[in-house]
Amino acid sequence: MQYRRLIPVLFIMNGLIVRSEDFSTHQIIGNIINEAARYNQWNVDELIYVDISRDKTYDSRRDDHKIKAVDSIETIITEISKVCFMPLTFGGGIKTIEDVDLRIRTGADKVVINSAAYHTPELITEVARKYGSQCCVISADYRMVDGTPILFTDFGSNNTGINVVDWVKECQKNGAGEIFLHAIDRDGKACGYDFDTISDVTSATSLPVIACGGAADVDDFIDVYEETNVAAVAAGNMFHFTERAYPRAKKDLVREKIHVRP
Amino acid sequence: MSDHDRKYLVHPERPPKMRYCSKCVSPMSSAAPITFDDDGICSTCKVADQRDEVDWDARMKKFKRLCERYRSKDGMNYDCVIPVSGGKDSYFQVHIMKNVLGLNPLLVTYHGNNYLPTGMENLKNMREVFGCDHIFFTPSIEVLKTMNRLGMLMMGDMNWHAHCGINTYPIRVAVETNTPLMIWGEHGFMDIGGMHSYNDFVEFTYRNRHEHDLRGFEWYDFVEAAPKFGEKLEAKDMIGFMHPSDEDMDRVGVRGIHLNNYVRWDANEHGPMMVEMYGFKESEEEFERTYRRMSNLDDMHENGIHDYLKYIKFGYGRATDHTCKDIRAGLMTREQAIEEVRIRDHVKSKDLWRWLEYVGWTEEYFDEVCDRYRDPRVWWKGENGEWVKDNLWDKE
Repeated sequence: MQYRRLIPVLFIMNGLIVRSEDFSTHQIIGNIINEAARYNQWNVDELIYVDISRDKTYDSRRDDHKIKAVDSIETIITEISKVCFMPLTFGGGIKTIEDVDLRIRTGADKVVINSAAYHTPELITEVARKYGSQCCVISADYRMVDGTPILFTDFGSNNTGINVVDWVKECQKNGAGEIFLHAIDRDGKACGYDFDTISDVTSATSLPVIACGGAADVDDFIDVYEETNVAAVAAGNMFHFTERAYPRAKKDLVREKIHVRP
Repeated sequence: MSDHDRKYLVHPERPPKMRYCSKCVSPMSSAAPITFDDDGICSTCKVADQRDEVDWDARMKKFKRLCERYRSKDGMNYDCVIPVSGGKDSYFQVHIMKNVLGLNPLLVTYHGNNYLPTGMENLKNMREVFGCDHIFFTPSIEVLKTMNRLGMLMMGDMNWHAHCGINTYPIRVAVETNTPLMIWGEHGFMDIGGMHSYNDFVEFTYRNRHEHDLRGFEWYDFVEAAPKFGEKLEAKDMIGFMHPSDEDMDRVGVRGIHLNNYVRWDANEHGPMMVEMYGFKESEEEFERTYRRMSNLDDMHENGIHDYLKYIKFGYGRATDHTCKDIRAGLMTREQAIEEVRIRDHVKSKDLWRWLEYVGWTEEYFDEVCDRYRDPRVWWKGENGEWVKDNLWDKE
């Protein structure tokens, strides 16, 4: 049986790691490379970076730090690859196959595609053909609207009116290899995972599903592994908050007999 | 950035107009990682407002439970380690842990050889009024002088040794004494920067210390840089600055709590309370760069040239920080704040003379090194070669 994965997700905004809440409040946590180096020491299963910059400016911040701020997506990925030796998934701002090429060439193992999968679904097929389905992760961001999980694109601002469960089936048909299921309502709220939608999605697709949104502590991880069939659990903010948060979570999961890589 | 690869911006190629928070007076160029929302309000103001929504009684209950788990079972060890400088926040931390919760803390002080007389009195007084065991640690003065000079040359900050000492030595003590629980005061960049929500319960982490408190430098960077600047520094001089390994941290289970997540933190209330309850003393002398007399008495340069360097780098200083806090606390209007900032932020304070004498530098050399660190987001050169920046009181 395959190990179930535990994945830190790092949100990048204008060249810095941010803490995200409700897809709208963003607080600067720090430098991308420093973060990557620490996660490498923590021996994480894999890392997902999502660039959620609304515009393409890079915040230079103060320059009296040892590690300087980065100023392009190429530099970001190249520098991360230098200090990180686990599988690296990179998303955000991907609209064309050239965008995918750039990320793979500079060191990403997989890419996450979000809005472009909705606006130009043929991109999924193109990526799958060129790099294989396993390389193509589709991020499905949803909000609950009158009790139905509805797909939202474009930083959670565009209500597509599509049920996220139907959307995931569609993506599988187009050639996606993995689903990153992200509950916008729970982003940064530390209120636990959305078991119902996660279960609905995992029953609707044979693709591995990564659940994200709502983690407060390790108990939330345990619950979602036990209550659903997710292949992986991801969390954005919480690994920033406590010392050795990731290795400690892993230890607790092993103790609870969750099938994760120790 | 060294002065060689820094391009001075010559008028009219000036940086974009500086933005300031519309509620407090924080500039966008803040040394802290602040962000602005669509209404132009900074993340620090927004996080400070959250304090009114937190159920502090429930937090205290949670905190008591947490502390009980760490209380020494047989009384043969300390219950927690509290890093203290002898300031009003230190007093408040010990007050809560020892006198409110009844724990047996070990106090640990990093002594960077810059104490003001009142600050030292306050520190010594802690031994009398709290009745706790207390470790004072001072690195070799020669090493401190070297680190003062190197800090200036490497990053424009003579006080890196203090940031590192305060955020390292007490952790070593926690490991050495097998005491897992550490009690810190406020989370620095949550207090000035709004880095976290009160729901994060953020704790002390190596990464935050390394990246933000220490700016990505560690003791070995100083040892490596020393010969380049004609200085001598070896690993054996730096033991107090070496952070314990992950293995040691795990073995003891060291965990650093920030008390501001469990107790409503308001320095303007705590200061007078500590004066009354424990005889904490404010500075008798006025400072030049801030109107507050109860902050940073453990280091004469913190309110002085260390802070002047912040002005050189980022175009603002402690008067801005303190007025921001007082605006948020409802003690000051934005107009009053602007006046304080106008008369104080640019002042080159007189403690510079002590520092120059201490490390053997001239003022000219100090100024030259300072200029290397002017942030191009803030400063440009005027037509006569003088340094120019936007100001808080500029008309739109």
